[in-house]
Amino acid sequence: MTAATAPVTAPRSWRVPSAAGPARLLRVELRRSPMLWLLPLLAAAFYVSTYRPAMDNPPFWNIRSGMVQSHTMLVFAPLLAGAGAWVGSRDGRRGLVDLVGVTAVPRWAGQLATWAAATIWAEALYLAGVGVLYGVTADQGAWGGPLWWPVAVGVGCVAASCAVGFAAGERLPGRFTAGLAALVVFLALAGGAFAIQDQVTYAQIWPLNVQGPWPADSYGIFYPYLPDLAIAQVMFLAGLGAAALGALGWPAGAGSRWLRGAAAAVTVAGLAAAGTGTALAGTARVEANGMVIPALHDAASDRPTPYTPVCAQGAVPVCLQPAYRADLADVTTALGPLLSQLAGLPGAPVRVTQVAVTTVQSEIENGIGFGGPAISGHPPVLYLPLSGMTLPGEGNTPATSFISSLRQQYGPQIVNELVGLPGGTATVGVNPGVGPDRAAQFAVAQALEQVLNLNGPSLIRSVPPGARGNGPASGGDTNGVSPSSAQLQSAIQRFAALPAGTRHAWLATHLAALRAGRVTLSEIP
Amino acid sequence: MTAAGVGRPVPELTQARVGGPGGPGRAGRAGRSRLAGRAGLRLVRLHAASRRVLICLLVLVACAAALRTALHWLPHTGVLSRQIPLIIEAGAAAVIGVTTRSPFGEPERATGRWLPWLRLALPVALTGAAVGALAAGSASAHLAYGSVGLLRDTAGFTGIALLAAAVLGGALSWIGPIAYLGVTLPALSGGWTTPWIWSARPPHDHGAAICAALVFAAGVAVITARGARDSTRE
Repeated sequence: MTAATAPVTAPRSWRVPSAAGPARLLRVELRRSPMLWLLPLLAAAFYVSTYRPAMDNPPFWNIRSGMVQSHTMLVFAPLLAGAGAWVGSRDGRRGLVDLVGVTAVPRWAGQLATWAAATIWAEALYLAGVGVLYGVTADQGAWGGPLWWPVAVGVGCVAASCAVGFAAGERLPGRFTAGLAALVVFLALAGGAFAIQDQVTYAQIWPLNVQGPWPADSYGIFYPYLPDLAIAQVMFLAGLGAAALGALGWPAGAGSRWLRGAAAAVTVAGLAAAGTGTALAGTARVEANGMVIPALHDAASDRPTPYTPVCAQGAVPVCLQPAYRADLADVTTALGPLLSQLAGLPGAPVRVTQVAVTTVQSEIENGIGFGGPAISGHPPVLYLPLSGMTLPGEGNTPATSFISSLRQQYGPQIVNELVGLPGGTATVGVNPGVGPDRAAQFAVAQALEQVLNLNGPSLIRSVPPGARGNGPASGGDTNGVSPSSAQLQSAIQRFAALPAGTRHAWLATHLAALRAGRVTLSEIP
Repeated sequence: MTAAGVGRPVPELTQARVGGPGGPGRAGRAGRSRLAGRAGLRLVRLHAASRRVLICLLVLVACAAALRTALHWLPHTGVLSRQIPLIIEAGAAAVIGVTTRSPFGEPERATGRWLPWLRLALPVALTGAAVGALAAGSASAHLAYGSVGLLRDTAGFTGIALLAAAVLGGALSWIGPIAYLGVTLPALSGGWTTPWIWSARPPHDHGAAICAALVFAAGVAVITARGARDSTRE
């Protein structure tokens, strides 16, 4: 058959629907994206930086959800920025800029397809890692549900890192661009950490910042996770990425005038979103349940999460939030001996109830201070916060360490609360804050701590200046004359040496007077 | 540098090869020796130019300036006092790794008799330059872990970059130190004790120093013997 005899067929239409161009390009880019080759490395980085540390912690959703934002992004953001720069500089490195500039698909659309392909792979891996981590956490019986806002910030950070790196690579193609892009992102993250520690208000927008100074185990349990800061961060990251990608569409070769106008609009909108997010983060403040941004705050988030406590019965029942069910035995072991000694005394707690926090205040260098246990109500209830404490299994902490820490940290505070001393007094000995008129309270508290082995053997570390040794022989009194160390020590040893029943009976009779400051050292048996 | 530039002969060398004005006597041998030295220098210069060593040195100077600026603001203790210097050291190492990329590929491997020596000398010299620049940048400022830590960490990072260059290619060698850094930073506050995370260990930790030195030696050895992995597409 010759060409002349070949049957004449109608010419096939090669016209491609306009929307199919970028879509086909995206499919091609998905198959050929260098990000595919980086996926094993990213998976390993996720395992080392996030999964393994997460498994070293007890199965709490707040701890593990925070990690997929803070831990993962610390590694992913620089790597993805570098990889994005590598992808973005591809045409420039290969000298293809002029060639791809005259294809049917507008240059900007082609660039977006390349970026999208790289980002889709990175997001897929990130979400797969999060899925595995959340699946394992759910399988371990974590109470409540996963927190999704940290994941949203992570998704935004992945996209923004790829976009910023991509734009850098596209603008400055070269062998050093990728490495320098990764370095700059790393430095930016470290600079953000420095700024946030330096109390720079707007630094709260830092993408690795989950809930400001709040420790990971202290939010999202008793009250819903407050998404205010995460919303601002997502705005910032989305704006940053949009601005970077939009800037690629400005040059004349990027596409039609309409397309370049759209790119400019995207850039402006991105910058506006990033600026708004930063400004909102600047208004964030530490409140009782997390970081609150007034303009974004939903009052519904302030309602406590309902739950049925898990309790251990004993002389004084101990009830914990069900997320802490695994720690109930340890808490009971730590506080049980103390509580049984105090049971039945006037003002002694009849029940222990775990709370989120008793008090909270901001401290320097992005720190936060939590109040200790507090006794209040009628009948008295001991409100016990565990926020900020290293729980068993957290960082390979053994249960014995948690028990010892809880007993030594909270035990003296509970005793002090009971005898009417300020909560933290016993840990620093007699000090000017106590005053000489509280010597008897102090002696009784120290004796109880000694008997219960709450605070180590050496209890008296200082006496108020000018008060040493000038007290009356009968001991300290309520007239402002301080007792000597010997008098204090003597009273402590006397009271500690009493049989438990005698001590309890004396406390039952005199605790109200002791708390009111009407008992002198010499009256202590 | 262009291919024409590489191929341009040294006129004096050509003259000496054919005997030259003084003939093939002692003066001729001395001339050949001198000219061979000049040719060697030219080879080094061209090799350095092909690896963008000048840009690398400029980046190292920028890293030193960044370190100096950071140390002015950084606290003297705590995790941050270690993090930012480590990031800068890793960046310097990443840039050194990128210089191993050859723009010529197989032809250079086939014809470059002195290539292994050049591949040995370049990363070692650049590592020395990086340590020197960063040490100068941290002079008169408080650098956590001091110059010993700086030397150990920079050498270790560079070793990782060179190994990554051998596996992934010179242009992608930055992935090694950056990924390692990402693993290291959490270890700073996590109290990891393995010497393989040497950056998290104190400067007098011999195990960490040995691990960093081993990685650097391995990286230099691999790059010297095999060079960075070539990619035909780049």
